[in-house]
Amino acid sequence: MSKFAEPMTRLIDELKKLPGIGSKTAQRLAFHILRSDDDDAEALAAAVRDVKASLRLCSVCNNITDVDPCVYCSSATRNQRLVCVVEEPTNIASIEKTKHFNGVYHVLHGSISPLHGIGPEQLRIGNLIKRVEHGQVDEVILATNPTVEGEATATYLSGQLRRNGMKVTRIAMGIPVGSDIEYTDEITMLKAMEGRREL
Amino acid sequence: MALHESEAIVLRTYPLREADLLVTLFTRVEGKVRGVARSAKKSKKRFGGALEPLTVVRAFYDVRERNELARLDACEVLDSPLSSEVSYLRAVALAHVGEVLDELLPDREANDAVFRLALAVLGHLRGREIWMPITYFQLWMTRLMGYLPDLSECIVCGRSLNGGRAFYHVLADGLMCVDDKRLASSELSSDSRMLATQMFRAPIDTFTGVTWPKELGADLRKLLMQILQRHIEKKLTTAAMLEKIDG
Ligand SMILES: [Zn+2]
Ligand SMILES: [Zn+2]
Repeated sequence: MSKFAEPMTRLIDELKKLPGIGSKTAQRLAFHILRSDDDDAEALAAAVRDVKASLRLCSVCNNITDVDPCVYCSSATRNQRLVCVVEEPTNIASIEKTKHFNGVYHVLHGSISPLHGIGPEQLRIGNLIKRVEHGQVDEVILATNPTVEGEATATYLSGQLRRNGMKVTRIAMGIPVGSDIEYTDEITMLKAMEGRREL
Repeated sequence: MALHESEAIVLRTYPLREADLLVTLFTRVEGKVRGVARSAKKSKKRFGGALEPLTVVRAFYDVRERNELARLDACEVLDSPLSSEVSYLRAVALAHVGEVLDELLPDREANDAVFRLALAVLGHLRGREIWMPITYFQLWMTRLMGYLPDLSECIVCGRSLNGGRAFYHVLADGLMCVDDKRLASSELSSDSRMLATQMFRAPIDTFTGVTWPKELGADLRKLLMQILQRHIEKKLTTAAMLEKIDG
């Protein structure tokens, strides 16, 4: 027999499916929800429902959005001809924080990952290629992760896009600001050297 | 608790809890070791790019109990796959070497011959030529694990296959002559058997400098994958990925 009433057990089981939530935390959250007033509990349930009902992928860039095209793709003040390719929607926030990028995005929702059976066919790049082929883009910036998988993805994309005569650039990799060259590993140093620029 | 130090190849990493990584290393000194790299997922400061799969490193780690996870203390990069261009082809080939080593090697059992093979193969997986190093790797790996049958005689009648045709079947333990082959067998060409003989006699460097199309030795690789997958009783993800590559 379960320790809790059936609805409580069900809520705990659902919460446990969330990343980083173990049994103890799930119980704590479930009891918190039980003690909270009806409006708060209802608002939480509605928010969970709405996020699934109203969010979808932008048809232009694959970003997660409630309006299609998304805020970036429909913006009149952003440069729609400069496209930055990222692996995940969450990467956009990191680039937006700089307040210096005024182009738009393309979200791949992953990277090439042979160990997981993910090859180029599984990447969401159809709409990016179409944008390029229709002459809507001047430059594609590849901002995939500086990992073997991110590099393989960038190299593959660059090959595909250059076929259309597109200008393709890769974000620089190198030494983190505020760190010390003395403690930089050799692969980071090598990449930093490769990505050097004239002053 | 003692601090171990060994040359090692990073085979795989998995996220563990919030910030840590579970790392599988193939160490030269004590074979395959699983360990935890604390905070490696959150902060790149301590490990940098050293935990990228197929990086050759000098690893420093603590082992408490034989069966417990090691604690990875530091990793110095000796050779990184990121030091030359990572094409899709090369990414699949690297992942294949990692997957085969991870699936075939037992835990905590040193194997210097396999370690040297892996280093030599990684050293040759730099450009766009992958089929030579991959064939060499699969062939030697199958032999070093003790799974390779005699390629020169029929397992049914014992006749020599040299000068004749040879066949293999997913359920047979070795090659068969034309009279003893089973239904739905595949042929292993005499060129590929010759290639295997040459690869057993010479170091990998001997085979560089020639263009090596995918078809060259394809039947041999298919046989080797059949043997390896039969022994681990599962399909290798990267074998299917290699298969799909054209050219
Ligand atoms: Zn969009
Ligand atoms: Zn026979």
